[in-house]
Amino acid sequence: MENLQMLFMGFSVVLTLENVLVTMLGAVLGLIVGAMPGIGSLAGVALLLPLTYKFNPTTAIIMLGSLYYANMYGGSFSAILLNIPGDSPAVMTALDGYPMATKRNRPGQALFTANMSSFIGGLIGMLILTFMGPLLADLGLKFGPAEMTALLLVAMTSIGWLVGENPTKGVVLTMVGILLASMGMDTLTGSPRYDFGNMYLLGGIPFTPFVIGAVGFSQVLKLMEERNKKVEAHINQKLTIKGSMLTLHDFRRLLPPAIRSGFMGTFVGVLPGAGATTGAFLGYAAQKAFKSEEPLGSGAIEGIASCEAANNAAAAGSFAPLLALGIPGSGTGAVLLGGLMMWGLNPGPLLFSTNPDFAWGLISSLFLANLLTLMIALGIIPFLIKILTVPVKMLIPIITVVCVVGGYSTSNSMYGVIIMFLSGLFGYILDRNGYGVAPMLLAFVLAPLLESNMRKAFIISHGSLGIFFEKPISAFLIIVLFAIILTPVVKFVLRKAGVLKK
Amino acid sequence: MQSKKITSKMVIPVVTAVIAALFIYLGITKYGFWHEVRGPLPGFFPTIIGFALLGLSVLAFLGGRKEEGTTYPIENWYPALGVIGIMLATLVIGMLPSLALFVILWLKVYEKYNWKTTLVGLAIIMAIVIGAFVMWLGVPFPKGLIYNLIAY
Amino acid sequence: MKKIALVLTMALLVSFAVFAGAQAEAQAGKAFTPSKNIDWYVTSSPGGGSDIFTRTIMDIAVAENLVNGQNVVVQYKTDGAGEVGRLLVSQIKAGVQADHTLLTFNSGDLMPMVKNTNNRFENFQPIAHMAVDKHLIFVGEMSKYKSFEEVVAALKRGERMVLGGSKGDDIACHAALIAELGVSQDQLSYIAHDATSGAITAILGGHFDLLISKPAAASQYVEAGKITPILALSTSRFPGNLNSAPTLSEFGYKNVEVPNWRSIVAPKTMSAEAVAYWTDVFKKVSETEEWNKGYIEKQKLVPDYMDAATFTTYGMNFQKEYLASIGKDK
Repeated sequence: MENLQMLFMGFSVVLTLENVLVTMLGAVLGLIVGAMPGIGSLAGVALLLPLTYKFNPTTAIIMLGSLYYANMYGGSFSAILLNIPGDSPAVMTALDGYPMATKRNRPGQALFTANMSSFIGGLIGMLILTFMGPLLADLGLKFGPAEMTALLLVAMTSIGWLVGENPTKGVVLTMVGILLASMGMDTLTGSPRYDFGNMYLLGGIPFTPFVIGAVGFSQVLKLMEERNKKVEAHINQKLTIKGSMLTLHDFRRLLPPAIRSGFMGTFVGVLPGAGATTGAFLGYAAQKAFKSEEPLGSGAIEGIASCEAANNAAAAGSFAPLLALGIPGSGTGAVLLGGLMMWGLNPGPLLFSTNPDFAWGLISSLFLANLLTLMIALGIIPFLIKILTVPVKMLIPIITVVCVVGGYSTSNSMYGVIIMFLSGLFGYILDRNGYGVAPMLLAFVLAPLLESNMRKAFIISHGSLGIFFEKPISAFLIIVLFAIILTPVVKFVLRKAGVLKK
Repeated sequence: MQSKKITSKMVIPVVTAVIAALFIYLGITKYGFWHEVRGPLPGFFPTIIGFALLGLSVLAFLGGRKEEGTTYPIENWYPALGVIGIMLATLVIGMLPSLALFVILWLKVYEKYNWKTTLVGLAIIMAIVIGAFVMWLGVPFPKGLIYNLIAY
Repeated sequence: MKKIALVLTMALLVSFAVFAGAQAEAQAGKAFTPSKNIDWYVTSSPGGGSDIFTRTIMDIAVAENLVNGQNVVVQYKTDGAGEVGRLLVSQIKAGVQADHTLLTFNSGDLMPMVKNTNNRFENFQPIAHMAVDKHLIFVGEMSKYKSFEEVVAALKRGERMVLGGSKGDDIACHAALIAELGVSQDQLSYIAHDATSGAITAILGGHFDLLISKPAAASQYVEAGKITPILALSTSRFPGNLNSAPTLSEFGYKNVEVPNWRSIVAPKTMSAEAVAYWTDVFKKVSETEEWNKGYIEKQKLVPDYMDAATFTTYGMNFQKEYLASIGKDK
């Protein structure tokens, strides 16, 4: 097993005192950056890049890698405790994480579940990366515009499952999300679209302030109703780690979703253009097809497990194209790539042969980061739960401030704050009227990917639909798509005809 | 004829229908729908979604008429007013002072906490904001008109 | 009592203003040296090409003590796809601030700016043009065509093909190429990706046949043998492993090139002394070894320093040609 040998060699590179310390530092910083809404891994990595110039390239990239990775852990903290996702992949985590922490009164277990699933998902992702990295990257290459369009159409059908009791309202918001996302620069033609003559809208609506507002700030407005509720006394007994431990039964519940999402997330991370957010979403949506003990969205362990595992796995998976082919899977990857080039390393098809100690050092450092971050994250659970004991009256101004600051930080301008504010109002009004914002946010992320891939596919085929059926992967996915759409219809017809029992 | 109250449940679908119509109109006239060789143009996708949205908005509207109206407790809007206040104050005195002012006013005047609690709350928030965002990430918060005037 | 206080305050403020103004006047005759923080604006995200360019120059300038010990603060203004930041710099009024403001500005910024807004190159003060980058056309391992001759022959037969690249200057390059070859958009279509890496991913997967890219992004793939250069969009062949690609003139056409330049500009209102100062600072930077070995070579660029006056002429001409090519008058 040549790769295994290389991996152990990588460990010997990593397990120096300096590198271990740096991994820990990266992990802690990543947790903090991840937990804070408004600052994502992109900002954290980009801003720390200059600091790492002092170190040698291997040490520097290890620190950045562990920071990027730990970020995926941290995002769930504020999602679970405050219903404010720390970064976009955590939007899904909040859907089950927050109810589990508050309604079911099991905050420690929610955090524990999130951390364990992140660990498992990441571990699976890294194992796959180790043994199949280059293969996986090549597989990702086969997904061109046509294949991605088909895949994303399948993914879009699963938004349907998220819409809850009132499908009409859910789909209305999905459509609104798509339209909002289409505002801004249209890459394919290089011209602005739906900017209404406003210079700020030339860049479109930035996602992070939009999420912070629609989920976070609207949450603050809702919290106003709970100001006067007394804090439950029995939270006190859960403040220890012991009180947060999962029962064996809980553990058995989280394993299957975590493992499934681990594999799926890794694969999604490899795909061009899809990242941790898409991974988390698909993981969660896939869970709908499987049995969950409690219904999803009410605080089910399966819900947290499926998306947290997926987003960590996707982060690991995105290293495959980065290291094997020099292709960054996301904005953060692009920054890492830039940093690598500055240090004279050229990730690309030749990296594994020209700089093996670097490449394998990085992969082993991810394993180490995974373990260290898990330990740190579990250790601070009691401290984090204390946040829940803060009276709501105090929380409201604190969260408001964090929302404003987070909204500002994404682009260093008041535009972000304004978007945050408007989406907060929008989100609150919608929520009061029974419209859930989750489908809108997810459509906002997926629709641009779907549209640009679809248009590229048509340019390649010179306007013909044939391309979707000629390419094998795409044809297969289209068949799956029709199967998903037609199954309910067929079932309906068969029932009416008396063939199928109701 | 009984006059129905106009509830927000009915307003929302109307708003989304208007948005849909706008996107459809611009999509077809300004951005182009389909090209023989180049396939879908910028207006294609939004226009199709626009039509779907229009149809669904009508459905939602009809459904909304049957449902009860929603109430909006007046206090719930206070944080929003607070944010507007922060944004305006930022123009003059800069963001960090505005945030501090907001926290003090909220905790002391609105929630009627004593000074000790207020200052503790303020300290925690400012520690988070300044520690993480200002010192570490170096986010350049706006300094406000007055500072800019003094500085030069 | 109150009235007197008010009058005194007004008097105080007025005298401050006069004093400050007098200071500025006194400075006007002397040579310029930086006397406060320098604000350097970058209109794209941290970690990207413009950011690396800016930070590299900044680090060299500080190390060589060219900024009088002052701090250089990099400000990212990415709203509105960068247009808000550019507009902001162009509107800075004359004074101390204008003399301490710089903006990283590339041809890839100029083109969308004049296409989508009313902002123009003449609203800025060009300071220094630092480096230039040109394009090549590549084919992948799975492409139908193996050389540019085959491409030309196929086009003559009426075959349609697709070229992929990034947004920005690659688009203008494609437009110039098809104009010279005399084929239509529909025959040689273009797919813009957010970054060249996206186009490279696609061509490695064999999803289309032709790729346009600048040397930096492509060279490692050429070395690994995954893509092959077949045409140099420049007036002469490229060095190193890109040398095998002929230029258009070798096929009997006129050479086509749309250089992607990287430069620094300032507000129009910057004083003449400050302009002279800064253009000299960057000249010195461009002559250091750290710049040439540590940046230019690594990024596979062509070093090309132009001082403020030369760059002004070059930039205005570039803008004029580009505007004409997209059908705008001014």
